[in-house]
Amino acid sequence: MGLRSAVASGAGRLVHWGLSAVLHRNASQLPGRIAMAIDPCIIEHLRAKASRGSIVVCGTNGKTTTTNVVAAALEVEGNRVLCNRAGANMAAGVASALLPGPSADWAVLEADELSTVHILPQLRPTYLVLLNLFRDQLDRAGEIDNVQDTLVAALATSPSTTLLVCGDDPLSVGVALRAQEQGTRVLAFGIGEDLDLAPDRVPEARFCQVCGTELAYEYRSYAQLGKFTCPNCGFHRLALDFVATSVHVDRKGVAFELGRALRGTSTELVKADFGGVYMVYNLLAAGAAVSLAGVDPESFQQALDDYRPDNGRLQHFEVEGREVVLNLAKNPTGFNQNITLLLDDDRPKAVFLVINDDYNDGRDISWIWDVDFERMAGIPDRLQVIAGGRRANDVQVRLKYAGIDARIADSVEGALGQISDLPAERPLYVLTNYSALWLAKKELERMGERHD
Amino acid sequence: MTETRALRVAHLYPELLNLYGDSGNILVLRKRMEWRGIACDVREVHVGEHPSLGDVDIAFIGGGSDREQRIVCDYLLEVRADLAAFVEDWGVLGAVCGGYQLLGHSYLMGDEEVRGLSLVDLYTDRASPRLIGNIAVESRISPQPIVGYENHAGRTHLGSGVEALGRVLHGHGNDGMSGEEGCLYKNVVGTYVHGPLLPKNPAVADYLISRALDRRYGSSLLEPLDDTAELAANQVMFERLMADGDKGR
Repeated sequence: MGLRSAVASGAGRLVHWGLSAVLHRNASQLPGRIAMAIDPCIIEHLRAKASRGSIVVCGTNGKTTTTNVVAAALEVEGNRVLCNRAGANMAAGVASALLPGPSADWAVLEADELSTVHILPQLRPTYLVLLNLFRDQLDRAGEIDNVQDTLVAALATSPSTTLLVCGDDPLSVGVALRAQEQGTRVLAFGIGEDLDLAPDRVPEARFCQVCGTELAYEYRSYAQLGKFTCPNCGFHRLALDFVATSVHVDRKGVAFELGRALRGTSTELVKADFGGVYMVYNLLAAGAAVSLAGVDPESFQQALDDYRPDNGRLQHFEVEGREVVLNLAKNPTGFNQNITLLLDDDRPKAVFLVINDDYNDGRDISWIWDVDFERMAGIPDRLQVIAGGRRANDVQVRLKYAGIDARIADSVEGALGQISDLPAERPLYVLTNYSALWLAKKELERMGERHD
Repeated sequence: MTETRALRVAHLYPELLNLYGDSGNILVLRKRMEWRGIACDVREVHVGEHPSLGDVDIAFIGGGSDREQRIVCDYLLEVRADLAAFVEDWGVLGAVCGGYQLLGHSYLMGDEEVRGLSLVDLYTDRASPRLIGNIAVESRISPQPIVGYENHAGRTHLGSGVEALGRVLHGHGNDGMSGEEGCLYKNVVGTYVHGPLLPKNPAVADYLISRALDRRYGSSLLEPLDDTAELAANQVMFERLMADGDKGR
């Protein structure tokens, strides 16, 4: 390490210590920003700290959970892991995560898709996990084509990186095929059976990535993910190196057999007490990544058994005897998956939908019109809906046209106040987009108790 | 009036032009008709089909990515004469974002000039930067300012005889310079206010419905609805734009 990067690293670590140990503040961004200002190549100089390698996780939905599970599984086997656990996923967040401590075994890093072009040339990770691509934050990210181009360009700068991709997602496979042409090694994961789930009302990515013909599906698991083929040019779901079968999904958890094409017919049971079909993909991706990193299946399962999210993703609280479930939902696919989860809960309930439009959320919330809120209509006695956030009025209008009469509350506390006359057995689901999540979590930690 | 009124809506290529919640516009048209006892028949025109506009009252075209917009344009050019006849016969046409650009003589896709439908005397070129953000427009077709979101690299220039939809109160509009936004020509409304234009601007939705009723039944009378929620959403955003210039947090 040269003098410049030593100074940069030292300054970053000093800021990290000052923020976290002295001021007890979040140190997920600023140390990296300062280190990068002193040495723009600081990630390159820190990469060697992870002596066994690094795993980068990207994709529109599920990055934070997948990253945390991968890091936890590596730690079960005694690895020292550098990780941006709180989800600060641009280059400064990645640099911040690499700063602490003199050395480590693995770096496990969540990366914003558009930031990969800054991160990959310097980090040159062992694996890049690509979970999925959905429409999200069009005002910031541009159209999905732009996100795909960026990922292909990022992979071109790091030829030693293996791409571990969701073979069921046509948009991610589009990236994989282009990366493969430029020499990237590609491994794929996916679900190997029909789960008989209903498709979304506004399907994404219906057209072939190569020739533009409408894709045909043998089955879909959710959104555009499934076993697809192009009837015209043969573009198809990739052959799966890691495959989930015997999949069981409900709101309380998931279980599936994880099979590896590399190891013949043997499979291992994976189970976790967090629900949703998207979670099967997250855990399948995590299981595949840690398997490539040499982690035993038993250690992976151990990590899942011990995993308690502390990042607002499907966290359970109890406030004055009422269960409150907090989850992130920041785009149509995420919301549709959350609606499935809460409708699977057959108890009468209330839901508080919170939409902000800060920069981190995307300023444009037009996408709320593509969410199937209609599925929550028609049962006002069993499902009370409350709107919140900086765009509460827009949410209220959206719900009105879905046939749902919603009131507005300005906080989780306010929402709980509005349903105080409802029996305490009725849970409140709080679904928020990005910037509203931390406020809601803070409120719930103040008012109630965590229930794991 | 004892006779049940009914209107037909053609939603053009929703599977391609659905980038920003465009389906919200159709939902709002449908609900605002149904709440007044007007039967509403929505027909989606899909890829591979040509729209037959003979019995259509309102046609709607949304926004898509460049690639998708190009595919739609190729389909529509084949039925350009029918579309032009529909527009000249006072057919109601709502066109948003990319759909708005298709109305004109030409638009630019990258550096390539693409021929448009020439339904309205306007054309679109492009420039940097993209014009992105919340927008508010004062228009004669709505007592409230029209509020929404715009995101376009295109700069649209109106021919001398074409009226703008309105005057920009906040944001960029047609070209970021003229202070004008959108177009009004016969019963065509074109605008860069993309995706869900109609939910927060109920007067624009009712304008389209009443023009269509007038054309089919010779009477544009619409019963008022309770628009408390819609107008509150409109007002909250408008006041925010006027107060802090929409500086994000």
